[in-house]
Amino acid sequence: MELVLALAINGLIWGLIIALIALGLSIIFGLLDIINLSHGDFFMVGTVLAWFIVHWTGSFWLAFLLAPLIGLLLGALIMKLVIVPIKGAAALSIVATFGLSIILQETVRATFGPAPKRLLPPVEGTIPLFGIDYGIYRLVAAGIAIVCLAGFFLFLHRTKIGAWMRAVRHDPETAVALGIPVQRIYTITFALGFAIAALGGVVAAPITTVDFRAGVDILPFCFMAVIIGGLGNLQGTAAAAVLLSFMEGVITAFADPVVARIVSLCLMSVVLLLRPQGIFAGAMS
Amino acid sequence: MSEIAPVDGGKTAQTPEQKLRIFNGVLSIGLIAFFLTAPYVVPMITNDFWVSVTAEIMIWSLLAASVNLLFGYTGLLSFGQALYFGAGMYGVAIGIAKFGLGFWTAFGFGIVCSVAMALVAGSLAVRLTWHYFAIITVVFSLIFYFLALTMSPLTGGDDGLSFTLPPMFKFGETELSLTDPTLQYYFIFAVVAACYLLKWRLLESPFGRALIAIRENDVRAELIGINVYMMRLASFVVSGFFAGVAGALFAFFGRYASTSYMFYHVSGEAVVWAIVGGAGTLLGPVLGTGVLILLREELSVYWDHYLLLVGMIIILTVIFAPKGLAGLIDTIFLKIVTPKAKVARKSEMQLTDSKVRQPAE
Repeated sequence: MELVLALAINGLIWGLIIALIALGLSIIFGLLDIINLSHGDFFMVGTVLAWFIVHWTGSFWLAFLLAPLIGLLLGALIMKLVIVPIKGAAALSIVATFGLSIILQETVRATFGPAPKRLLPPVEGTIPLFGIDYGIYRLVAAGIAIVCLAGFFLFLHRTKIGAWMRAVRHDPETAVALGIPVQRIYTITFALGFAIAALGGVVAAPITTVDFRAGVDILPFCFMAVIIGGLGNLQGTAAAAVLLSFMEGVITAFADPVVARIVSLCLMSVVLLLRPQGIFAGAMS
Repeated sequence: MSEIAPVDGGKTAQTPEQKLRIFNGVLSIGLIAFFLTAPYVVPMITNDFWVSVTAEIMIWSLLAASVNLLFGYTGLLSFGQALYFGAGMYGVAIGIAKFGLGFWTAFGFGIVCSVAMALVAGSLAVRLTWHYFAIITVVFSLIFYFLALTMSPLTGGDDGLSFTLPPMFKFGETELSLTDPTLQYYFIFAVVAACYLLKWRLLESPFGRALIAIRENDVRAELIGINVYMMRLASFVVSGFFAGVAGALFAFFGRYASTSYMFYHVSGEAVVWAIVGGAGTLLGPVLGTGVLILLREELSVYWDHYLLLVGMIIILTVIFAPKGLAGLIDTIFLKIVTPKAKVARKSEMQLTDSKVRQPAE
């Protein structure tokens, strides 16, 4: 029973981090109509940045500030160099981001090295939780993820740029007519998508390993959250990420983790075929 | 390779488009001649290693061709062709290693596995289009990738399942088997060439025309009486067949099968080969596969991070040559052969056009 509980909590916390990354994927998809195959690598770049910053400055908390900022810059740069020239060709964007994914992974392999490394959490020790000793940092990570998620939704609903982003997503032509700088909103969206994936990477770095291949495993999971939650439905995406990860955690208690992954993938196929708007469609419009 | 019809009705001696068609024909024949003579020509230039690289290029180009049939001709981008490749590969490996099948029965078993898989997956997947189609094809391939991982006693997991090659023919004492490298090369050549011939015939047939009609506009295609669902499914199954043949050949070639060839990165590579070579052209995928694999084999020796270059080539192709290498060659050739006077006449025509339009404004 303790094992089930521990794995369920693990799943929950991991789901909160995934939700952050998947939100980035979802806004990029919703606004720019791009399937971003390099999104998992944005997360991976975040974990690697965290590793470098901790090793240069010794401060983990600085990584929380710097990594998303570097993510913003990299995102804007990629937008300008890669995404703008191919904008409007959906199929080609998949190929271009696949190329981008190769470049990001290879750059990290060349600079950071091919071997996975561990990053020590800034807060060590365990506390008893429902009869099990639980790592404090995981709870801290969950707290940070929740704060970031809340911050993201506040940004989207309470700021001018957030309102513009929603407007562009709703109807880009009317947005242009109303004088919204649509091109800049596209760039901000892409950069923001990179930044929150990188932030997710920093949060996750001490829980998982820092590895140039980390993005390859996380990408399918993010897509599952986006599809099951409903493309463009941001609240749905966040909820689906947490639910899926929680479910996988519980299944892992009884079976191989691979089986858990197969169950989620099958669930995703069913959703794609029967309810392509996601399972929360209709709950909110 | 170009589908532009001659504009002048062919009255002048040769329009640039006709010249392009001849040029493409010569290039294609050159390419085929190279593959036909490679086991004898290549060792003269370098060594035997490159003959087996050439064989590998042919196999992978067939996987790229299967992506091309779906994307270049039907307008569906599949990111899951590794699944049918894997089915063909494991059909052969499991057939030989576990069921003790002979050479030809194992070959057939692998192809049947991949076609059956494509039929089941396709009947669901082609209900969706665009993004959703790309995603569901990846999802299907991932499901079976993970299944293959859990069934490692049968599949060997990432380590793979190796087998000893059964003989192709037996005449009393003498045995013919793929252990002879030259025979192996020509076996692969014959099978791949037959597949390309089939693809060419299919695309020239009403079926191929229907696929192109669907690619251009599926609503109009439906309205003129084409059964879009059935055509897409047929295209999906044929493309699964090509991927399966490629997988079976690869199993024979490497004498083993491994789940790592079923991961979505293999599908992604196939898409890249097809698009870098030129989607929607018959031999473009061969070109793309050849260039990128040669790059890998040549560069990886000297530079550990050659993938950086591959990534850049992919992005540059997508930005500057969206029709791939084949399209690039066509464009350059057309620029060279188009007489200057004609360009001038064209701009003159545009001028008169705008003059005609002026009063209306």
